Amino acid sequence: MSTIHLQNLVKKFGDFTGLKTMDLAIADGEFMALLGPSGCGKSTTMNMIAGMEEPTSGKILFGERDMAGVPMGRRGVGFVFQNYAIFTHMSVRQNLAYGPKMRGAPRAEIDRRVGAIAEMLHLTPLLDRKADRLSVNILQRVAIGRSAIMEPAIFLLDEPLSNVDAAFRAVMRTELKQLQRQFRQTMVYVTHDQLEAMTMADRIAVMDHGVLQQVGTPLEVYNNPANVFVARFIGAPGMNLLKGRPAESDRGMVVDLGPLGATPPLPVEIADAARRMRGEVFYGFRPEQVTLAEGGRGLSMPVSFVERIGARTIIHLGDGETAVKAVFDNDVGLAIGQTAVVAPAAEAVRVFDAASGLALRAG
Amino acid sequence: MADVVFRNVTKHYGATLAVDDASFTVNDNEFFCFFGPPLSGKSTILRLVLGLETPDTGEILIGGRPVNAVSPAERNVAMVFQNLALFPHMSARDNIRFPLVERKVAEAEIEKRVADVAAKLHIGHILHKPPAQLSGGERQRVAIARALVRDPAAYLMDDPISALDARLREETRVELKRIQRELGKTLIYVTHDQEEAMSVADRMAILENGKIRQVGAPAEIYDRPASTYVARLLGSPMMNILKSVRGAEGVEAAEGTIRIADKAAPADAVEIGLRPEDIKVRTWSGEMPEGGAGRPARVFEVEPLGGYTVVTLAAGQARLRALLRGQPDIRPDAMVAISCEPGRVHYFGQSGGALAR
Amino acid sequence: MNAARAEPVLPDEGARLGFRLTLPAQILVLFIAVFPLLMQLYVSLTDWSPLSGLGWWNAWSMWNSFANYTDLAADARFWSALKRTAIVMIVCVPAEFLLGLALATLFADEFPGKRIFYSILLMPMMVVPAVAGYMFFMLFQSGGPVNDILSAMSGFPVTIAWLSDPTLALIAVMVADIWQWTPLMFLILLAGLVGVPEDQIKAATLLGANPWQRFVTIVLPKMKTIIIIALAIRVIENFKIFDTLYIMTGGGPGVATETISVYIYKLTTQDLIWGYVAAIALAILIVLSIVAVFAMKRMARVREVAA
Repeated sequence: MSTIHLQNLVKKFGDFTGLKTMDLAIADGEFMALLGPSGCGKSTTMNMIAGMEEPTSGKILFGERDMAGVPMGRRGVGFVFQNYAIFTHMSVRQNLAYGPKMRGAPRAEIDRRVGAIAEMLHLTPLLDRKADRLSVNILQRVAIGRSAIMEPAIFLLDEPLSNVDAAFRAVMRTELKQLQRQFRQTMVYVTHDQLEAMTMADRIAVMDHGVLQQVGTPLEVYNNPANVFVARFIGAPGMNLLKGRPAESDRGMVVDLGPLGATPPLPVEIADAARRMRGEVFYGFRPEQVTLAEGGRGLSMPVSFVERIGARTIIHLGDGETAVKAVFDNDVGLAIGQTAVVAPAAEAVRVFDAASGLALRAG
Repeated sequence: MADVVFRNVTKHYGATLAVDDASFTVNDNEFFCFFGPPLSGKSTILRLVLGLETPDTGEILIGGRPVNAVSPAERNVAMVFQNLALFPHMSARDNIRFPLVERKVAEAEIEKRVADVAAKLHIGHILHKPPAQLSGGERQRVAIARALVRDPAAYLMDDPISALDARLREETRVELKRIQRELGKTLIYVTHDQEEAMSVADRMAILENGKIRQVGAPAEIYDRPASTYVARLLGSPMMNILKSVRGAEGVEAAEGTIRIADKAAPADAVEIGLRPEDIKVRTWSGEMPEGGAGRPARVFEVEPLGGYTVVTLAAGQARLRALLRGQPDIRPDAMVAISCEPGRVHYFGQSGGALAR
Repeated sequence: MNAARAEPVLPDEGARLGFRLTLPAQILVLFIAVFPLLMQLYVSLTDWSPLSGLGWWNAWSMWNSFANYTDLAADARFWSALKRTAIVMIVCVPAEFLLGLALATLFADEFPGKRIFYSILLMPMMVVPAVAGYMFFMLFQSGGPVNDILSAMSGFPVTIAWLSDPTLALIAVMVADIWQWTPLMFLILLAGLVGVPEDQIKAATLLGANPWQRFVTIVLPKMKTIIIIALAIRVIENFKIFDTLYIMTGGGPGVATETISVYIYKLTTQDLIWGYVAAIALAILIVLSIVAVFAMKRMARVREVAA
């Protein structure tokens, strides 16, 4: 079984706590992304899974087996480094053969396995090339092949696309995902790029400041962020968050957005929770889930900026604390200086406690 | 006038051709962006404008004045460096003053010009602070102020925000564009990020191996790419480009899955280009709809982005990607009907050049 | 609009200007390097000696064409000095290399007191060779500390005459050389060792390589260039071994520790046959040049492979 269980995992570096009590269960064959800004603890977590760093406390289980004290060479994990760490003084073939050779596999078997893995990764014609001066996508395949040949139950990837040119990243993403399908191993993928995590992962673990913020499928974290951090971090642009105060009205619970002079209704499911709130809330909605409400009720705001980026147009409304972004198709026809009335789709509204940052949930 | 003109400029580094017969005009007060893959010649063009390189052949004019023989110091163009290169031990004010002090400008004049540029960039209230106490955006403004205090004809930026993380890049590019609007000065900008280029540029030039392939407003280039090369560079996911054949009813591609009922399609088209957002995807009802507009394809992969969904479709041997709004309920291996409006199709000829409809 | 085009800067023009600007320096180099060589060659073809009362430029009057070189070929003392030099080299350089490498490997990891040990280790290198020679001269006296320690360890008085026994004297000289020059090896190899990419070592570990396998398959190949440089430096330096040795033994007993340098020194200061000395010096220069060229070729090849 190649499940991974992290139980109460803590990592301290002197006085600094790199990871605060992490609990995470990764299923067999799952593609899990550890996502967060730099310094959030994602790489530390990964290094502990690989055995490169010792946890300060807590447990790491592979299946039922406790990994404490198991050295990194014996954990049976494949690891793809950020810079791929290809052995540049060797040929592609020697790189692929490295693991089996070190384990003393017979020559014939090594040849057979290298042949098979090279075939699978389309590296056969490159086998006798020196491993330096290869392009990044080939380096990536060599790095994956070199680990995959050991048939590890678990694959760990540390920001493998961060050195890749933006234009090429999409190609590499697709390639990586297809590889994961072929190998069907448990994969843990560290990244700071929410787009990578969204498009590739089965589930995402969002982290910040050494704390696990939320675990869920890409659409779960996008649609129902657990807190303000996740709401802002996921999505491009992130979720709009406007400060306001819950208020009772004849239309039910509404939120008074203060300087914006609007009191949009709050979702009925969280009305009770909002009623119990003493302080302020964040009224949140996704830029993609906004419609132009011509003459109707909505937020009336000046267009401060228009960005047309290929298939979509991002309209920037207002400024500072009350800035809102809305994403439209290119035929939206708004220009800087105009006033637009925008309304979030009713089912798209999310509300967060401004003090704690946590999402208000039904009940 | 602070326009920048290249006339047939060529530059070699040894045997490598870095800029190949480049001709373009950057208009006064324009935000002009050079965009292309690595080593396509973007940075060399900047260096030629700055005077750090001399062209092998051709002529460069800044504000109507030929500058081939003019030294960098006398060209009156300023550079904002990628890491901003602010002096950490000096206050924002001293950083901005620095270029003038170096040039021994009179103290009263320095004060006046620093005050002017600080007012234009709205940084009057932070001039006493050292860079370490400024936010990223403020630092950016101070660096620009330092470049502009000499009142250059144009200022240049080489991939200034590529080191920032994605979220900060989105904010900063808008900020940069706003600053340029307010200042109304010619800005020549280099980036390797297509989203950034489309967001900030008034006009942009697309480069390939030192050659300028297309110049125009971002939307214009996106909507009417001059070649398959340009078409692939802009847009994410990139444009689907498929081998096409002339059929009785119009053009067919992807083994008949895509049929464009366009009698006006150019006869010499060998490839068609479809933007992912122009591909219509509907659930397959099992029957060919009227007019053969929607044909069946298998869903190969679904990538949710939240606000959009990228669906990769297998149509015969071809793979195409469609960009759908929202979170449609589509699963891998499902059958769907795909179609595309004839008006949204791009046609390309034998050599990859776009064909007029 | 051809007239408006800029004159291309010819690459030739730049090269020519460069040549002109560096001309004084080139002449100086020529004077320093080439002139003494030609002078040597000239003198080596004569029987010239300072005793002759002639200036070196008049040495032609004592012309003997290649007699010095034929004498050299038949000079048993020269050949045995050369052989001795080779023995010292074959023992000392590998010993210094292996010790240096072992120490470097040790120092690549962190351990308490590393900085202090590091400073202590580098000290021998900083001792003036003549002083080192004197130190070892004292150490190896028959009543010296080495014998004292051996006495204390064995329990009965040891009075080995280290520097008077032909074999032991050679060993003592080699011990001194290893003591003094292992630190240099260590320093160079440590620099090479810390340059080995850590990620690649980690990757090898994750692929199941044990420390020895990692060392052989990753560390050594990555250090090839620096190893060749270190060996070349020591081979050339060791060939010239003189000061420490001369102070310890003066080349004796007899000619038991007489290396090429000592032999030349004696010929120059005692026998005063300078034409013959010039011939030996040139012969050695040629041998050392061959070593250097070989090393540089290897290095170029390694770098090509590594690039």
